[in-house]
Amino acid sequence: MFAIIKKELKSYLLSPVGYVFIGLFLLIFSIFFYINIYQYQSVNFENLFYNGSTILTFIVPVLTMRMFSEERKTGTEQLLITSPRSITAIVLGKFFAAAIVMAITELFTLMYFAILSYFGKPSIMVAITTLIGFFLLSLAYIAFGMFASSITENQIVASVLTIGVFMAMWFLPYINEIFGLFSLIDKFENFSYGIISISEIITFVSFTLMFILFTIIVLQRRKSIK
Amino acid sequence: MIQVKNVTKRYGNFYAVRNINFEVKDGEIVGFLGRNGAGKSTTMNMITGFIEPTEGEIIINGYDIDQKPKKVKSQIGYMPEGTPLYSDLTVKEFINYMAELKLVPRKNRKEAVKNAIEETGLEKVQNNLTKSLSRGYKQRVSMAGAIVGNPKILILDEPTVGLDPKQVIEIRELIKSFRKNHTVLISSHILSEISQICEKVIIIDKGEIVAVDTPENLETKTADNTTLNIIVDDINNKFTSIKDEIPEITDIKLVKENDDNSKEYTIETNTSDDIRKLIFSNCAKNNITILEMKKSESSLESAFIKLVENRKEYSQKEINKMQYEKEIEELREEEKFNKEEKEKKKIAKKEAKARKKVAKEAKAEAKKNKKAEKNNDQKEGGNK
Repeated sequence: MFAIIKKELKSYLLSPVGYVFIGLFLLIFSIFFYINIYQYQSVNFENLFYNGSTILTFIVPVLTMRMFSEERKTGTEQLLITSPRSITAIVLGKFFAAAIVMAITELFTLMYFAILSYFGKPSIMVAITTLIGFFLLSLAYIAFGMFASSITENQIVASVLTIGVFMAMWFLPYINEIFGLFSLIDKFENFSYGIISISEIITFVSFTLMFILFTIIVLQRRKSIK
Repeated sequence: MIQVKNVTKRYGNFYAVRNINFEVKDGEIVGFLGRNGAGKSTTMNMITGFIEPTEGEIIINGYDIDQKPKKVKSQIGYMPEGTPLYSDLTVKEFINYMAELKLVPRKNRKEAVKNAIEETGLEKVQNNLTKSLSRGYKQRVSMAGAIVGNPKILILDEPTVGLDPKQVIEIRELIKSFRKNHTVLISSHILSEISQICEKVIIIDKGEIVAVDTPENLETKTADNTTLNIIVDDINNKFTSIKDEIPEITDIKLVKENDDNSKEYTIETNTSDDIRKLIFSNCAKNNITILEMKKSESSLESAFIKLVENRKEYSQKEINKMQYEKEIEELREEEKFNKEEKEKKKIAKKEAKARKKVAKEAKAEAKKNKKAEKNNDQKEGGNK
């Protein structure tokens, strides 16, 4: 698994993908940061993430769309599947590599906290719960993006599918309460109030595990129908 | 050793590979021949574990790939068709990644990568990105990825496609050098290549194995002994008349007239005996000078064409019809079986009914007898 994580990280950081992801993320966060401070006169770190969670919808596919689609298109999938590594190791390797890029990006956001604490007194505990919640949310998104990438060899289809489902999640709570339960972005709200609730953590983690499992099943299945 | 036993790969109604059986022994270089779409890559993909067969089993060095995938896959070096490479890695990084994927132990990895680079002659470009390489080099990188870590078995899918003649010769020499330490299965549709490299040839067509033999045997088996090619200097135009003098000759055809007035003919005979001496003496008698005379050349190419073309071509319609007929046959048999079952049940019912009747009658008779006995007793009692 580590060989795959290492290689995937290398691919992210040797190609523009990793930089585009981190750069775009920080650019939009900086705009939010500016608006927060100058428009709303707020020194609220968690508010930044509450707004920022919407951009995950558009930015996570940058990270995930190529994961399996590209391998399938270029045929390097054959090298992976015919190697002695198990499909679970391959899927987890790719997932963790994307998770690491996400974690690096989140570390960069600490600079906003540093700036805020220079001028004011933002709450450290709330900042930590927000960061944890945001990371869990992005892991769930990455898992879904990876799944979308595993079912098609077209990267555009994979990214459109990912964006579509994430956007639908914004509006699920407006349909009715039961649909609302499936809206991850809605669940993130509590974390930004400084609340860590078990039910939300379980939702994020189970969503993540479910789509990792689906990806493994898709790849396993493809062996017999391909 | 690779053993392929009764392997079938089916997509819906289409058979990509149908019930194939073959074996590649240790240290052998075996060629896998077939036209495009004959099922070569499908078979190779099944041997390497990229896809699963619908039926049958594949055993590599004694292990079933289905049951011990890790053990089997670590013994195989696979060079897939179309040389897929990770374009954002350098040659060295790519080969190193392949070594990592194949579980080459960390302490041996550096050396294994170095050896693979040296064997494939990639020293000069080892720090270039794979996407910047020419086709020939890409092919070599893919080959290096397959041989890194010295796997016992090498599966090479069309390794020389798209290379220039010099590169083809180099890759061929490279493959020949594997003979000592590896078992090699190599697919190709270029026959001269196979006859040069391989000790054994497997010919596959439309998903079925047509022949398994050495290239030499295949050539002699399918050789054409009834045709001769001849070039003569025949000023008086008398050559065609020797047909009348030698009864074995069935036909003489003019192929072309050369600038130096010599003529090229093909001679068809009705025997596989050598009649060249006869022709020679006849020509001498008629003052015809023979410049060249030889039997029609037999090659793996002609062997292949003969083997493949003699097979009946089934159109999809025919296949559907055959399948339809098979299904109907099965349905009929099922119906027959059901009918028989029903009849058996009926008979059994009837028998049961008859048995019941007999039993009832027996009972009734017993009752009657009892009654009669009772009456008799009473009568006897009355008499007393």
